[in-house]
Amino acid sequence: MSIDMPAVVLAREEVLPGIVRITMEAGDEFLEEAAPGRFIQVEAPGGIFPVLRRPFTLHRVEDGAFSILFRVKGRGTRKISEVSSGDTLRVLGPLGRGYRLAGGRWLLVGGGLGAAGFPFLAARIESGTALLGASSSDDLPDAGVADTRVATEDGSVGIRGLVTDLLPDVDWHEYSNVALCGPVAMMKAVIKAVPPGIRERIQVSTEARMGCGWGACECCSIPAAAGGYFKCCTAGPVVPAGDIDWSRWEETD
Amino acid sequence: MKKVTWSLWGRKFDSPLMLASGTAGFGLELMKMGMLDGVAAVVSKATTLAPRDGNPPPRIVETGFGILNSVGLANPGVEYVVDEILPMAAGLPVPLLVNVAGEAREEFAAVVERLETSPVPMAYEVNVSCPNVAEGGKAFGASPEVVESVSRLVAGVSSRPFSVKLTPNEGDITESASAAEEGGAGAVTVSNTFLGMKLDWRTGRPALLRKVGGYSSPALLPLTVARVHLVSEAVNIPVLASGGVSGPEDVLELLAAGAAMVQVGTWLMRRPGAGSELMKGILDLISPGAE
Repeated sequence: MSIDMPAVVLAREEVLPGIVRITMEAGDEFLEEAAPGRFIQVEAPGGIFPVLRRPFTLHRVEDGAFSILFRVKGRGTRKISEVSSGDTLRVLGPLGRGYRLAGGRWLLVGGGLGAAGFPFLAARIESGTALLGASSSDDLPDAGVADTRVATEDGSVGIRGLVTDLLPDVDWHEYSNVALCGPVAMMKAVIKAVPPGIRERIQVSTEARMGCGWGACECCSIPAAAGGYFKCCTAGPVVPAGDIDWSRWEETD
Repeated sequence: MKKVTWSLWGRKFDSPLMLASGTAGFGLELMKMGMLDGVAAVVSKATTLAPRDGNPPPRIVETGFGILNSVGLANPGVEYVVDEILPMAAGLPVPLLVNVAGEAREEFAAVVERLETSPVPMAYEVNVSCPNVAEGGKAFGASPEVVESVSRLVAGVSSRPFSVKLTPNEGDITESASAAEEGGAGAVTVSNTFLGMKLDWRTGRPALLRKVGGYSSPALLPLTVARVHLVSEAVNIPVLASGGVSGPEDVLELLAAGAAMVQVGTWLMRRPGAGSELMKGILDLISPGAE
């Protein structure tokens, strides 16, 4: 059951340059349905263009509220980012399939704002380590995990390099689960570096240019390992890494 | 207060709203979401003889005032539709029209023949106008001769009424509409997406891999109103309006222009509850104060 509701904005913060967090009031039904990795479709306020809603993963869900964290990129995200406390945003969701919350220790691997959904995931798992990659400290979100290791391309925080440069120091025996989210090229590189045995337990939070968000329009296609495509919005957004045909998957944005 | 009704093919509906093909799947997702209130009928995603993966992503892109899609008739093929999807669609609270597409004239009839084995469809919509397959759109659906022959072939195998979904892109849509009527169509759908393209002038790179796609938008309303008006004067079969609805007044305008029923598509992608939202607005406008 998904609902389409006006959600009251409780807070709007620019947490990093050009990166905005919006916290909204959540009803009981929303809180029951909310799960790490699920997403919402938000209508851009003020007029009917852009027509399509913009999809956002659930960033945090706590204390009767939920939040989204995003970079202001185009007209839709700009309009959404311009709300103030007390305004309402029209929100559809939670939608899609989230992470399978298996027990054991988790490794959360994120590239840039791919880590936007990690705080909610971190709140619902036993324990974990986050490996984050970003171009600089200016686009490094908080993963909500105490044990967070960072690589930045400019070396402004953590080691200078890519998130894959953090992988050689991982003691893979400690982890039962891997959550992966980021640019497609980054995810391809990470998967290659994860040893067999745990590679099968990688869950990928996928992203695609989306139409409806609820399974009808066939627009958010991602190449499927079984051939053809699967729908990011209803088969995912979180899928086992093995469900994706990585050789055919390219970044579309 | 007299109850207002709309009718199509001898059936009465308490709403003039149909969900346009390609924007509602087979209605199953909306049924689960409890969002089919106010909807008279669902028109399914296009069904072809063989399964189609569809076009490589990106399949949708926003433009200044509307969207371009390039889905490419992705569908699991008529066998799967009949065996797996239609049995589930039997549980829909509203009737289903199955949209049928093909790459050759005979294919439409072959798909309909297979659909005839299912008790579920109320009717068909014959899509001779998809701009996102090489054979569709352009010359194919624009030729009245082809429209008439596809209609005749479908009429020959169908026990159910069908509407022919016409292209707005080429040719004279009134001639195509007359050809559909001549061929035995029970209605025409006016119309489909407009051929459109978006590119980055700096790089010349198109936003869609296939370069061109189907444009839809609330901004299409006056284009649809004109075509519905012209077609409804040219034929004696019902006209199903499709293109440009984003509010209750748009629906009433299309009905006033001559439409028997009005389809909602792109707007549904923004508002999955469009059926009940629009219907509430329509009833407020035509019978103010009534409940």
